Amino acid sequence: MRKTLLAAALVATSFGAQASAPGGSGCGWGNMLFEGNDGMPMHVLATLVNGTSGNRTFGITSGTNGCDTSGALSYHGENMLAQAGVMEEVAQDMAVGDGEALTALSVSMGIPAEERDHFKKTMHENFSTIFPSEDVTAEEVMANIQKVMNQDKQLASLS
Amino acid sequence: MKSTYLALILVLASAPLWARTTPEELAEHPRWKALLHINQGTTWRYQGRSYIDDPDFFLHESGATDARAELEASIEQLRSSESEARCDFPARYRFLSQQLDWPDDGALSHCSEYQEWRGAMPEERVALIFPASYLNSPSSMFGHTLLRIDHGEDEDGVWLSRAINFGATVQGQENSILYVYRGLFGGYPGYFSNVPYMNKIRDYAHLENRDMWEYQLNLDEQEREWLLAHLWELEDIEFDYLFLDENCSFRLLELINLARPESGLMNDFRLAEVPANTVSSLDRAGFIESVDYRPSKANELDALVKQLDATEQDLALALAADHAVTEREAFRELEPRRQNLVARTAYAHLRLQNREGERSQAAAERGMALLRTINGTPTVSGIEPERPVSPEKGHGTKMLAAGGGMLGDRGFGELQARFSYHDWLDNPDGYLNGAAIEAFNARIRRTEGDDLTLEQLDVVNIKSLAPRNSFRKPVSWFVNGGLDRRFIGEKRHLTRHIQGGPGLAWELGPVMPYAYAMARAENNSAHEVLVSTAAGARAGVLWYADGFQLGLEAEGLYYHNDDRRYRPSATLNVPLGRNHALRARIERDGGPDRAETEFHLSWRYYFD
Repeated sequence: MRKTLLAAALVATSFGAQASAPGGSGCGWGNMLFEGNDGMPMHVLATLVNGTSGNRTFGITSGTNGCDTSGALSYHGENMLAQAGVMEEVAQDMAVGDGEALTALSVSMGIPAEERDHFKKTMHENFSTIFPSEDVTAEEVMANIQKVMNQDKQLASLS
Repeated sequence: MKSTYLALILVLASAPLWARTTPEELAEHPRWKALLHINQGTTWRYQGRSYIDDPDFFLHESGATDARAELEASIEQLRSSESEARCDFPARYRFLSQQLDWPDDGALSHCSEYQEWRGAMPEERVALIFPASYLNSPSSMFGHTLLRIDHGEDEDGVWLSRAINFGATVQGQENSILYVYRGLFGGYPGYFSNVPYMNKIRDYAHLENRDMWEYQLNLDEQEREWLLAHLWELEDIEFDYLFLDENCSFRLLELINLARPESGLMNDFRLAEVPANTVSSLDRAGFIESVDYRPSKANELDALVKQLDATEQDLALALAADHAVTEREAFRELEPRRQNLVARTAYAHLRLQNREGERSQAAAERGMALLRTINGTPTVSGIEPERPVSPEKGHGTKMLAAGGGMLGDRGFGELQARFSYHDWLDNPDGYLNGAAIEAFNARIRRTEGDDLTLEQLDVVNIKSLAPRNSFRKPVSWFVNGGLDRRFIGEKRHLTRHIQGGPGLAWELGPVMPYAYAMARAENNSAHEVLVSTAAGARAGVLWYADGFQLGLEAEGLYYHNDDRRYRPSATLNVPLGRNHALRARIERDGGPDRAETEFHLSWRYYFD
């Protein structure tokens, strides 16, 4: 019985005591570029209360700073992009042409290892199509990625 | 000896002989004790019983204190093939069915929630993650630890791994005194959590500017199975969280010990669990396969800045504030690869500035424009921060020192003991330059013709030097409380004091100049008032050379009653290997009536 709640959220975000709203408020970081889960700057608050940013003094479960997004396993692209701050990392990696966040995105989209370099290169070349503005949403980015992949001979079969 | 014994038990444990074992013997099995989180003398509290009080964790009402009763209740409730309790305690079931040779009756196949969870959880590799000290935050100076569980098919996909974290849960806002008190002496409940690892990267490397060390552990498939099955048992189970010993690091050691009880990880008494020690314990016990370094965003910015000359740095700063700078001749004249570096530096700076707080539309527009510039110029790859010495390679966190010297014309001998952790002239390998945290640091001295006296006792002494440059402008600070001696009139008096203040610091290659403003409140037997207050300044320079560390410092304090104290000093520290050092110090200390010069030479030994 006591497992019901957890299982509902699959590998639910927190074993911790309190539930936090999906996408939760209080993820101060990472939303310089994109509107999203920014909400109140909880980190600043936490700094005032504890003298440390993010309640790390005693290693609080991350449930307390509201940074958990529901996203269960976040093991396909869209979920991953919806995590606070991740889209920003992906955007930066795409602009540069490489990086861990972009790699992780390709893994989460099921791009096989041997296609990854080509995927990254294609994303890099189409950066402006994928991120047309700073007001783009995770869904739009995902749709743009699909569009770009569909137009690429090698990637079309993967999207 | 003890570990041989354990190993012997383990060898026996895997033999069918144990199928006929008695409950008494089984209740003493190291793995059973690990499954119940029984304190086998590793920490002060709760020796001989389970660390857990939560009744949800036990099948017998006195299970927390009676391992045998819990064993019998578990056998009874987990034996039936339809047992619901199996679904709550898959690791216990695994243990009992192996030990008691239970027939394979579908095991956990009816536990759909557990199966679903396991199906979704990665299980291929396990790493211990150590987000190192957080510059300028004392509470994180010891660092933190968590576990990371990876999908095996792809080593590049660690962003998709899961993070297993043990932490205290603080409800709402409490005042910080209570927070510290409860954190140290108990009162906060601790829980395990399971979150996407990318959230942890964001929290530590991006938001808090902490470097992360990732230690891949060599747990095999069976060992990982124990760990994961047991994690499920710990969901929603309440522990006590104690800052000193029963903390994040300690609980992870318990988990790893469960996976490999013969490792003897919990055999030694552990007075305080410092994350760096946890890592070295694992290293000594042979768990660590490889080490990865994940630099913080701030270090990534510093690495980019180092690529630029002064003009380019100014351009990058201007560009972060106004994208129209790309139209300037100075920028357009740069070759495209240099433009790329300047734009990336500007972007990294802008992000660091905007990492907290509400999203600003203006910053977002500038950021996006910068990304387009970066995207439109050829990428210069391979710009990575230099990898520092990893924390487990640092000196021991406890220290004893013996030495002697002259104070004025009288000789003295001195012993020093420091419980924790690092001062800024100790061997910097594995530690953060310019960060010092000392707790319970005592010096006892015998001067010629005098009795044994307490020279100094720092209860806490924290100094943080956060270097400033054009891109980052942090404020340094220090705080120190305890006992020290100083001349008041003709005599050196023991004073109880607390002092601290804000400061500025810079980094010029291996040299760090700094200056602090400071305030001090003290209580001593020479002044009539209960508390004397003073204000002053402290300035100095640290030099981290190859082979030695040198510190020059001067301090001046003016007391409310016109008393004064001056204290210039020079300290040289020469590390001799990892855990020894020679230290020489010359200091002049005194006031308007009397001052003496002290010369002091000591041998420092670091351990644990």
